[in-house]
Amino acid sequence: MPKLTINGKEVEVPAGTNLIEAAQSIGVEIPHYCYHPSLTIAGQCRLCMVDIEKTPRPTIACNTIATDGMVVNTETDRVLETRKSIMEFHLINHPLDCPVCDQAGECFLQIYYMKHGLYDPRMKDEKVHKPKAVPLGPHVILDAERCILCSRCVRYCDEITHTGELGIFQRGDHSEIGLFPGRELDNKYSANVVDICPVGALTDRDFRFQVRVWYLDTAKSICPGCARGCNIDVHVNRRRPHHAEGRRVARLKPRFNAEVNKWWLCDAGRYGFGFVDAPERLLAPSQREGGSTSEVTWEQAVAAVAGALGRLSPEQIGVIASPKMANEDLFALRRLLDLRGIRQVAGQVAPRVPGDQDDFLIRADKNPNSLGAELLGFGGDARAVIDAAGLRRLKLLWIFDHDLLAGALPEGDVLEALRVVDTVVFTGSNANWTSAHSHWVLPAAAWVEREGTYTNFEGRVQRFRTAVAPLGQALPEWEIISRVMTALGASLSATRTEHLFRQLAEAVPAFAGLSYQLLGDTGHSLPTAGSAGQRGAAAPGESSSSC
Amino acid sequence: MAEIVLMRNFSNPDSHKITAYRAAGGYAAWDKARQMEPAAITEEVKKANLRGLGGAGFPTGTKWSFIPKNHTGPVYLVVNADEGEPGTFKDRYLLERDPHALIEGMLIAARAVRCTKSFVYIRGEYVEPWRRFSTAVKEAYDDGLLGQGLDIIIHRGAGAYICGEETGLLSSLEGKKGWPKIKPPFPAIKGAFGQPTIVNNVETLCCVPPIVTRGAEWFAGLGTKTQGGTRMYSVSGRVKKPAVYEASVAITLRQLIEMAGGVSGTGRLKAVVPGGGSAAILTADEIDVTMDVDGLKNAGTMIGSAGVMVMDESVSIPEALMVLARFYAHESCGQCTPCRESTGWIYKMVHRIVDGHGHKDDLDTILDVAKRGAGTTICAFYDGAVGPYISYIEKFRSEFETLIPHA
Amino acid sequence: MSASHGAASTASGTPAFSEAQLAEVRRLQGLYPDKRGALLPVLHMAQETFGYISLEAEEYVASLFELAPAHVHEVVTFYTLYFRERPGRHVVAVCHTLSCHLAGAPKIIAYLKQKLGIEPGETTEDGRVTFLTVECLCACEAAPMAQIDDRYELNLTPETIDRLLEGLR
Repeated sequence: MPKLTINGKEVEVPAGTNLIEAAQSIGVEIPHYCYHPSLTIAGQCRLCMVDIEKTPRPTIACNTIATDGMVVNTETDRVLETRKSIMEFHLINHPLDCPVCDQAGECFLQIYYMKHGLYDPRMKDEKVHKPKAVPLGPHVILDAERCILCSRCVRYCDEITHTGELGIFQRGDHSEIGLFPGRELDNKYSANVVDICPVGALTDRDFRFQVRVWYLDTAKSICPGCARGCNIDVHVNRRRPHHAEGRRVARLKPRFNAEVNKWWLCDAGRYGFGFVDAPERLLAPSQREGGSTSEVTWEQAVAAVAGALGRLSPEQIGVIASPKMANEDLFALRRLLDLRGIRQVAGQVAPRVPGDQDDFLIRADKNPNSLGAELLGFGGDARAVIDAAGLRRLKLLWIFDHDLLAGALPEGDVLEALRVVDTVVFTGSNANWTSAHSHWVLPAAAWVEREGTYTNFEGRVQRFRTAVAPLGQALPEWEIISRVMTALGASLSATRTEHLFRQLAEAVPAFAGLSYQLLGDTGHSLPTAGSAGQRGAAAPGESSSSC
Repeated sequence: MAEIVLMRNFSNPDSHKITAYRAAGGYAAWDKARQMEPAAITEEVKKANLRGLGGAGFPTGTKWSFIPKNHTGPVYLVVNADEGEPGTFKDRYLLERDPHALIEGMLIAARAVRCTKSFVYIRGEYVEPWRRFSTAVKEAYDDGLLGQGLDIIIHRGAGAYICGEETGLLSSLEGKKGWPKIKPPFPAIKGAFGQPTIVNNVETLCCVPPIVTRGAEWFAGLGTKTQGGTRMYSVSGRVKKPAVYEASVAITLRQLIEMAGGVSGTGRLKAVVPGGGSAAILTADEIDVTMDVDGLKNAGTMIGSAGVMVMDESVSIPEALMVLARFYAHESCGQCTPCRESTGWIYKMVHRIVDGHGHKDDLDTILDVAKRGAGTTICAFYDGAVGPYISYIEKFRSEFETLIPHA
Repeated sequence: MSASHGAASTASGTPAFSEAQLAEVRRLQGLYPDKRGALLPVLHMAQETFGYISLEAEEYVASLFELAPAHVHEVVTFYTLYFRERPGRHVVAVCHTLSCHLAGAPKIIAYLKQKLGIEPGETTEDGRVTFLTVECLCACEAAPMAQIDDRYELNLTPETIDRLLEGLR
């Protein structure tokens, strides 16, 4: 492992580490644009220059591998002056779009100019003009004038998605990022280019003009779009609600996890949060009697459901849980079911059309917690419960989240089941056909409105955290279950999901030894899932962050 | 000083044909080199003090010795026939008049570096030279010179000066834009298609057969202490007899201008560009310099491709700079930021000055921007642009200031 | 450099090489350690065959190399000798770099503008001549000069230009 000196401090790094990574390992930031740990070295922006002893001129850090005895200085006068020069070069033709550019506040031209530039601009000539506001695909829009031609997006499409849509055309200061004329940037991971673009050249169409980034709050979370469990940050707009037009979640961004998704997020996951602020959100408990629905209080709803659960014999009760529920919700439900001895239980509803899957991130299973559901006894197919209902064996059917008509269950059987069961209870965040045909609707908080854990398909248990408060009177599923248990004279002994997780880890061998502390921000494997699932921090030589 | 080596066959109108080349003693050097160890050939070229004649002036034998000794894969020899430096036309003559000299040089060089597949990258605009050279290559194949141990593949460029930069050329050879490669790794370690590669200029390789037949000492003795041989000087501009002239590298610029018939136009010398457009300009007082690599380096400029452009008193230096600034803006490949952004901007500023709309800060801005960018780019193209940007303004500042209102 | 041949095409109008030309493409690809090296030569072939390189031609060539079309477009837009629109039957490219400038290229260019009635970069309405100004062609000893189609025409004067233009049909 080479030992080198950076700014007078000795540091040992794994062989093959470049100087940007070596410096970062001791908290020294070397500004850069074109370098990205996931992509090949371009060496184009020239911003990452540093002074290396015995080398006459400043050298780019990204293309320099740390060697034993190397002495590097990132803050000499010459380096600082070079950075200033390179910043000026970058801004020669850059349009002063800050007032209308979404990137403001997280733009690395702004950030580095404030840190390393601060020169007086002297470019008085006409800047080169290029196309602006060009949609590249459904999610990404290009402003070619703002582009600093770092080529990250081109390399991304070549090296990560292998789709090659983007190129840099022409030459000189007329060089321009673009698509082959007539084509689209429509691969399933297209929006990652927005994240890696250091400036406002590639921006998110969905986020465009929504809210200034400095008004956003963030919460670490997990994408619930499929069984991969990509790590994300949820950015919410709490401070400018009057601009949000009812939309609290502004955008999702991938969060680095070396073991799961690295720096990436698929488009389906990135843009799958619309339901959270949709008009179909269920905001209050309700009861449907005859043909009309009326809002009720939680007390009334809980009393009714608990009453039915207590009154009926266990064989008359059927429960269809959901692999979209958190481990904590499912564990609470397990406790409730065990309390009453209810065994007619399922969790899976097969999709009508198999989900798409690739050899990158996307999993066919579009649920975030199928493995957790299975380990907690909810792996069975809902088919069995629907059949029991159809045979008139059930008097109460409690459905979590599913729209039973949207899956592969035969339509006739579902209609019949819901018709003949006396009491159908629905718990979920959004109204659907099933909720419309239920007798009791208990509104659940959406995933961004509470915390908990999911278990991904590889057995990695990961925490997701609360980003916004629940809408209306919606409650997390575990809390609904807790209230029902209390009404039945029992207690969950939990006021937070962490309590439930502790109980879960003690009670369920598959989760033995896990705790919120162990899960941290990057999750941890189930004990049986093998050593591959250790903490998802960056591998040596691989930094999680980049501009 | 009168020994003609490179242009020795030019007077024969059939010099490009293999029959004429052989009749004049051609391919005798190859016969000799085939009996030599590769290392011995390299040693001879080193002793001859042959330095690259395309622009960089790097010692050729030393470059050949950079090929890793234990490399088991292919080694490529790539000939840079992408002549494009303003003021230079010597390679065009060699390709048209003595293509077999290049082939013979390639055979010997390929043996020295253990290469069996070589490429000749000819600029796309050189159609006649390409036809002549292609015919010569076919003659060499028919004659059994090629195809036994060496193949030559001719690759036409498509119009980009930057493909004359050795790694820009390699990128273009690989079927991409002519974007120079970041170094390290250097071509001798990892070049064309990822393999060790030697890139040599046409004229440099044409020096190799004479070195082999007549010896390194002889070649070294023709020149200066640090550079051997003769070279072909392309002389143009305001001279009475613009043409290519062969002379010892020890010749002075004054002597060279005299060879070309002296200054035309007003007859009074104002300035000379000694080494192609990228070389810093010399004033009329600075022409007693030897036209070898170290002589011009010590004079603050460079011999480069030995493209000599003479300017008389009637030439407007600001206009000349504008023409070159336009060239650099047009030819910048656009890969790295300092060059891409500032070549266009500097052209705009110089154009404005020539048009009479200059600002009083413009000259200092151009000088400062150029100095800040020098040495920061992926390749030396920008340093080549900086040569004229700085030297024309510093040495003829008052001429620029005259054009600027309130300067 | 003249690009006057009619385009070969499939029934649907997209450009395509003949079998013999495809064999040549494969031969060229085989010369290079990575077949991509043959891209510039094949683009020259495409230009000679189709007259210029259209977007369809780019896609076609891309398919012959298993390259994303965007990367062929990069190459075609980077180099000046590839025409992306059909040029005139003849191309007159006048050098305007330093030695030619000193030898009077601006006057030659002005003269051609007047004779042809077009600006550099344009093509005459009858499709006869595309007029370009280009950077150093490396014939400085015979400045001012131009490249007309494949030939270098040296030591230009208004008289020689008249004669040359007359020869362009």
